[in-house]
Amino acid sequence: MTRSSQQLIDDYLRRLDRELEGLPRARRREVVEEISEHIDEAQAEANGDGEAATLNLLERLGDPSEIAAEARARFGVRVESAGVLEVAAIILLLVGGLLFGLGWLVGVALLWSSGVWTTHDKLLGTFIFPGGLALPLFIFTVWAAGSSGSQSFLEVFAWMIVLVGLVAGSLATAIHLARRMRARSALAVPT
Amino acid sequence: MRRGTLQYCVLALLSEQERYGFDLVRELAEVDGMVTSEGTIYPLLSRLRRDGLVESFWQESSAGPPRRYYRLTESGRIALDGFRGEWGRFRDAVDHFIARRTTS
Repeated sequence: MTRSSQQLIDDYLRRLDRELEGLPRARRREVVEEISEHIDEAQAEANGDGEAATLNLLERLGDPSEIAAEARARFGVRVESAGVLEVAAIILLLVGGLLFGLGWLVGVALLWSSGVWTTHDKLLGTFIFPGGLALPLFIFTVWAAGSSGSQSFLEVFAWMIVLVGLVAGSLATAIHLARRMRARSALAVPT
Repeated sequence: MRRGTLQYCVLALLSEQERYGFDLVRELAEVDGMVTSEGTIYPLLSRLRRDGLVESFWQESSAGPPRRYYRLTESGRIALDGFRGEWGRFRDAVDHFIARRTTS
């Protein structure tokens, strides 16, 4: 098996395990194990170790969030539905920092108290990047106030990269959280 | 409705013979409209095993590592027989209302 095929499979199983959070531990392990056996068998059968074959196999298995939604339904694990508080969390994490940083803290509290996201999502939401858009704005303000106007082009360029990176990171995190919110609550349709 | 009836399709497949998990899943997935994706069958198998309707066991394989097989238990057979009768009546009842009536 090629390195990248193995990587794809490992990523898939790791994602599946994360998505199954909330299920009884034994059930969670069982589902991951059996899907892992299924993958091994499919790999052996296909006798191909190409990346395309692996992608195809994983696609047939379905998205981990879909399998997890099915597992929650089968085991009667209560499914959280996304509401105003989740939307507020995403907005506050992004722009709440502009309200003296307090808004961002409220956003973090809402994020962690919601049952919609996994721990992994919550860690991402908290640490990429703390303060949301307020952080690059704050850095920019300090930098603009402190600069004497005699900085080299390279220096200005480096600062710009940092600021753009922070803005892009914050936006990407917000989009990620919104998509995960939709996927985890929309797929969780009761029988 | 699909979620509720899928489990009986699994039980019916296992009533013929014990099956290797991989083959069971492939067979179900091949029938159009039965499952959304192959992976979603595993939570169902897990649930059926917990309810004691199926059991799994390891069997040596001629090629490769031992394989996990599934078979129907006695309660699984009873559940399947019960559903067969119920399903027949239900299907007839629905047909009674929704089948096109050419005579009228």
